[in-house]
Amino acid sequence: MEYRKRLEYQSNYWYNDGLKKAKIRDLTGAMASLRRSLQYNRENIDARNLLGLVYYGRGEVAEALVEWIISKNFKAHGNIAEYFISRVQEKQTALEEINQAIKKYNQCLVYCNQSGEDMAIIQLKKVVAAHPSFVKAYQLLALLYLKTEQYPKARQALRRAHNLDTTDDTTLRYLHELHALSRKKEPALKEEKEHSVTYQLGNETIIQPAQAVVRDNSASVTFLNILIGFLVGAAVVWFLIVPAVEATRSRNESRQSVEYSQEIASQKAQVSALKKELESYRTAGDLAEAAQADAASTIESYEALMTVARQYSSGDYSYADMAENLRKVNAGKLGEAGLQRYSDLAEEIYPTVCNRLYRQAEEYHDSGDTANEITVLENIISMQEGYENGEALLALADAYTAAGEADKGKEKYNRVIELFPDTSNAQKAQKGLEGQAANVFGSSYSDDEE
Amino acid sequence: MLDFDEELKKFKPSLEVEQIEDAVYQEDLTDMTEILREMMRQSK
Repeated sequence: MEYRKRLEYQSNYWYNDGLKKAKIRDLTGAMASLRRSLQYNRENIDARNLLGLVYYGRGEVAEALVEWIISKNFKAHGNIAEYFISRVQEKQTALEEINQAIKKYNQCLVYCNQSGEDMAIIQLKKVVAAHPSFVKAYQLLALLYLKTEQYPKARQALRRAHNLDTTDDTTLRYLHELHALSRKKEPALKEEKEHSVTYQLGNETIIQPAQAVVRDNSASVTFLNILIGFLVGAAVVWFLIVPAVEATRSRNESRQSVEYSQEIASQKAQVSALKKELESYRTAGDLAEAAQADAASTIESYEALMTVARQYSSGDYSYADMAENLRKVNAGKLGEAGLQRYSDLAEEIYPTVCNRLYRQAEEYHDSGDTANEITVLENIISMQEGYENGEALLALADAYTAAGEADKGKEKYNRVIELFPDTSNAQKAQKGLEGQAANVFGSSYSDDEE
Repeated sequence: MLDFDEELKKFKPSLEVEQIEDAVYQEDLTDMTEILREMMRQSK
């Protein structure tokens, strides 16, 4: 059985070769070596298990499981394939997710055959997100990006695939094609680079306008922006906030002014009401005082009248004494009966007293005692103003005029004219007003002057 | 220059988990030992 040994050696040789390649992530090379190893000896468990592991490394999980299951059939115990299978089946959710990703990949192949590249790209993005070690998916995605001229994205997908399997001929061909395209489009890309910035954000390649001018002058632009912002802020404050504040303050002042005005008006009304009340109190006080004085005067008049009546009845008193008391009576305060009694007494007493006083006045006149003459004549006038048809008034007017009290003299002359018009005494009074004395008691003033 | 359609034809559907059993049975396990045995049997 020498040939059998030689076949085993050959199988082991290729297994070792596959192992070396697998260690440096040359998965395609490792697969070729391991398949060759199994062609020499299908029962090379290590080679089959490693082949399954290489499949797993490329994201082909179902193929890996196939190899491990076959390996387990050849050697049921002490086989590491059992460990690999249990580890894969351990996380059912993860296995189901990978299986869904594989199904989507297969669906994408259908889309591609139906010219649905856009849909296929969308689905493949989801596939590589769910199953990041799926080399075939990256390759297909790169092919679609190349077709749609999305070269940066194609490059990115191929780099991922290359990292998983460094010698996959499909990946290498696509990369070569991409380099060739890049060389062709280098001038165009340079121009594009001047106008755009490309960078990676996760799985996406972001391309945005470069805005070189702004970047070159970033400091001055920042300063300009700050200045503009400051000016805008100042304008907002000046045109919007300040007027609003002023308006608010003005409204407050107006409202306060109105309140003060209302308060002042209220105070004025209150003061006016108090003044009116005070005035009414004062009026009431004056009226009460007047009424009191009137009552006192009435009482005094009646008392004086009763005194005179009693004196008159007794017959013990002179007319002069009775006249003195009777002059205290205010006839206006008396009632009808009192007034009648007063008139009776006055008619009885005053003429007699006036006659005596008139003679006394004449005596004073003759003696040149003008002051006493005036006093006596005033007493007569107070009792009987029209005594002797106004002669007492004329005499009093002459006396006042002689005493230098011309105003009082004129007043008395006018009174005579008023009480006794169209009489000789009135004519005398008129002459008295013109400066010629009436000389009722004779011309004693003229004599004195002479 | 890549031919997209030609390249696309090179992509084959990947094996799904539900297809593992069939794949195991359909796997060609013939090796050199078996071929040699057959050759020796026929030469006899």
